[in-house]
Amino acid sequence: MGASVSHAAAPPPPPPVAPPPPAHPLGLAAVLPPQTEEKDGAAEKVDYMNLPCPVPFEEIQREALMSLKPELFEGMRFDFTKGLNQKFSLSHSVFMGSTEVPSQSMKTVKVPTAHYEFGANYLDPKMMLVGRILTDGRLNARVKWDLTDDLTLKINAQLTNEPHYSQGMFNFDYKGKDYRSQFQIGNNAFYGANYIQSVTPFLSLGTEIFWLGHQRKSGLGFAGRYNTPKWVGTAQVASTGVVALSYVQKVSEKVTLASDFMYNHMTRDVTASFGYDYILRQCRLRGKIDSSGCVAAFLEERLNMGVNFVLSAEIDHVKKDYKFGFGLTVGE
Amino acid sequence: MAMRGGGGGGGKGKGKPPAAESKAEAAGKFVKVWTTWGMKKAKVAAHWGFIPLVIVVGMNSEPKPQLFQLLSPV
Repeated sequence: MGASVSHAAAPPPPPPVAPPPPAHPLGLAAVLPPQTEEKDGAAEKVDYMNLPCPVPFEEIQREALMSLKPELFEGMRFDFTKGLNQKFSLSHSVFMGSTEVPSQSMKTVKVPTAHYEFGANYLDPKMMLVGRILTDGRLNARVKWDLTDDLTLKINAQLTNEPHYSQGMFNFDYKGKDYRSQFQIGNNAFYGANYIQSVTPFLSLGTEIFWLGHQRKSGLGFAGRYNTPKWVGTAQVASTGVVALSYVQKVSEKVTLASDFMYNHMTRDVTASFGYDYILRQCRLRGKIDSSGCVAAFLEERLNMGVNFVLSAEIDHVKKDYKFGFGLTVGE
Repeated sequence: MAMRGGGGGGGKGKGKPPAAESKAEAAGKFVKVWTTWGMKKAKVAAHWGFIPLVIVVGMNSEPKPQLFQLLSPV
């Protein structure tokens, strides 16, 4: 989510948005080329009263996130999705592998884990309910409910059995003709609001503000997105000292290249990454290389109707950490 | 869920009459305690009830699936 820039520097409580965006594992996600509903405009006079609606603020960097941040994993993964009818499906997912445990020293500490996750999804044009529960009792719930044509309620929650570890966030989104605004309430007395407006048919500018009650921290951020059918560029600056830029170029129907730059003034951390995304008939291959010495690749191959084979690899040359994963996804 | 709002009712004591002050404090504490109680119950309800809620909503959607489809692996 684009809001990660402001939240990243604020300590733990807000639901971690740096991990993959709520991209639901519903199979090969069709990549939408960055589009504007724009009349082909050689010498077309711009109608400033009829600008297209901008993308939601948290999705401002979505093309870059889709290409550069696939869901890498280590170990074996098997996902089975069973549809009961058009709108309702159940999913069963088994994972056996290692997960990293944060450690103080430079060495990465990995702990072998295995879990089974049961999920239920209900997808309706007006309402979406997605719930996933793991064997250790953790629940991931996502709700998206269109209260009216323009007002949407989104709820995102991770509930655990351990006290004080649960997180939840309520978002109220209002969509206007050429603007969107959102108000967020989260646990630990987190309040946030953001607003994004289309300024020209290609350019949209947005701003966000948040307040963390328990730590009495507040932040303000600005973002801009320039969107053409061939490329998308975004820039975000936040008062928490984070600057994030991204650029995605659609080289052809099948190939997209993306690059990303993030600078954190507080921790003096700079990361740049460059990646590619090939969407071919039978597979989707994403690869990226990082300035912190990390190389990663992710392949989703369609073996048969509804059966996908997944390979994930991540090599961190600096920390000498090698992660390889494989899996099978059955069902839509 | 973590408790909301830090110490609001702490001693202000700058010449206010003690009776009125403690009434306001007591009211504030009352609201806070019951809000926390409410949030805890809501969290437990959501934790246990969300997946059953999705299943009930799904089983009642059109076309209605059969119960055995819920449990069978095919």
